[in-house]
Amino acid sequence: MNTEAPNRNSMLPFIWISAVGLLIFLIAPLVVSMFMVRVLQLFFLSVGLAVSWSILGGFSGYWSFGHTLFIGVGAFVGGNLASALGSDWSPLGILFTCMTAGGVASALLALILAYPLLRLRGIYFAIAMLGLAELMSELASNIDVVGGAMGLMTPDIVPEKLNPAVFYYYLFLVMGVIILLIAARIKYSRFGYGLTSIREDEDTAKMLGVPTERYKITAMVISCGLVGILGVLYGFSLGYFTAPSVFRVDFSLNMILHNLIGGIGTLMGPIIGAGIMIFLTQVVLGNLLNLHVMITGLLVIIIVLLAPAGILGTVKKRIQTRRLEKKPKVFDDE
Amino acid sequence: MSENDIILSGKDVTKRFSGLAALSEIEFEILRGRIYGLIGPNGAGKSTLFNLITGYLPLNQGEIRFNGQRIDRMATTRINRLGIARSFQIAKPFHELTVYENVRIGALFGSDGPRDTNEITTDALALTDIEAMADLPATALTVGNLRKLELARAIATRPQLLLADEPCAGLNATETEEMLNILRTLRDRGITIWLVEHDMRAVMSVSDRIFVIDAGVKIAEGLPKEVANDPSVIAAYLGAPVKVTGRADPGSGTPEA
Repeated sequence: MNTEAPNRNSMLPFIWISAVGLLIFLIAPLVVSMFMVRVLQLFFLSVGLAVSWSILGGFSGYWSFGHTLFIGVGAFVGGNLASALGSDWSPLGILFTCMTAGGVASALLALILAYPLLRLRGIYFAIAMLGLAELMSELASNIDVVGGAMGLMTPDIVPEKLNPAVFYYYLFLVMGVIILLIAARIKYSRFGYGLTSIREDEDTAKMLGVPTERYKITAMVISCGLVGILGVLYGFSLGYFTAPSVFRVDFSLNMILHNLIGGIGTLMGPIIGAGIMIFLTQVVLGNLLNLHVMITGLLVIIIVLLAPAGILGTVKKRIQTRRLEKKPKVFDDE
Repeated sequence: MSENDIILSGKDVTKRFSGLAALSEIEFEILRGRIYGLIGPNGAGKSTLFNLITGYLPLNQGEIRFNGQRIDRMATTRINRLGIARSFQIAKPFHELTVYENVRIGALFGSDGPRDTNEITTDALALTDIEAMADLPATALTVGNLRKLELARAIATRPQLLLADEPCAGLNATETEEMLNILRTLRDRGITIWLVEHDMRAVMSVSDRIFVIDAGVKIAEGLPKEVANDPSVIAAYLGAPVKVTGRADPGSGTPEA
């Protein structure tokens, strides 16, 4: 019986795959085409978003259908602050100040929203988030000070002689890794087990002494704060954006989709899901713009039918079933 | 009887659902270190009473005290942390976790104070005799073992008082006897137990004292023998007197009274 730390073994392949993957991604821009650099950049952004979403949606089971709200808040806070800071600041100084501000603003907004919203369960929470994201998008478009209708120009912070795509490639990679490490730290902590118990059965969790209210709010604040930071970075990488280019429903849906395909609640799931979907939509179907939405839809239906627990979830179940079938043999040997 | 012996007490506990009284002016005193039974026909208000004690539902009037402290306006989480655990009528394991992880969540949280999570978890699994299944997914357990898991998870929160809602539901005679022995062991370790149970032989054999409620009103309270022979109890619930023996007879099945 494994009484020490039941999660150590499941962590090991995760660490190995991550290390090898990271090494490949670090040297990739030297080798692959600019097109692939852009595809991978989008992949890292998607991983960062999907893993951030998972801290609330995957771990605690509160699915948000409107997480793009925080991409938008991050992008607009970052974009407006960048213009206010002026030219005295160093490019990296601007970037980090804006990322911090966008993250904090998103986290604060999440904190305000969390208390009333997280009283709603299941589909009601999901829909409330969807509505809020739409509302915020409208506000950003219609309040002149925010500049959502006219659009915002972000300062050029890319170092000279460096291709912007490569620059943002590394920034999104670093953010993706940081977010993944945060998620891993959370998942295997007391807090993480508390979130899991909330996802599995919130009423029982309360009776086991899990501070469900505080944990849900904390998860939402972390999740939205991280998405906000990515939003700043995304806004900068666009160079110019309007409200519709950052408050995008497809962003919200992709965060869910990538988790769903890879395996909800797992660490590697969103990476696998984002990897498959980005590769298919950008590389395989990149030239078939008309068909790609339809084929994506078909693919989602097939995966949900064949592997309702996601790819990782289904593999895990297979292994468990096999172990259960083997069990009697072990007893015979004794 | 000193004040310190009373672990849980209720005065004038009343709960109405849209005007209809589910519980009316219930009074109770639970003494430390004993096993209490709570019986009554379906819909009598037994689970409602447990829901009031554990903070799932607010009272309409009255008060509930745990170790002298009022708990009737507290959140469930806080009530558990003070030292009240509860196992549910329908076992609700965390399906995606192993048996060990299920119990470990109880150990990670629960009563405040220093904790050795692994030791508490292993101990709770041993007490309920499901150690051998520690690494199995909770979904692989039989009904009997799910009941034990439900109990193991509750006691891993290190309670002083355990409210057990039908711990023997769905169990056969042997399993019921096993469950009663676990409850006795817990009592011997100093945990006070209050259980709802439909199996009359079981509840009569394990309880030191029994409360009977019917239609939201307490109709009797006393030793098992007294309660079993109380005319109002027989009329309301039992139908016919139940022979009180020292323990449940494993050979004769579990007749529903």
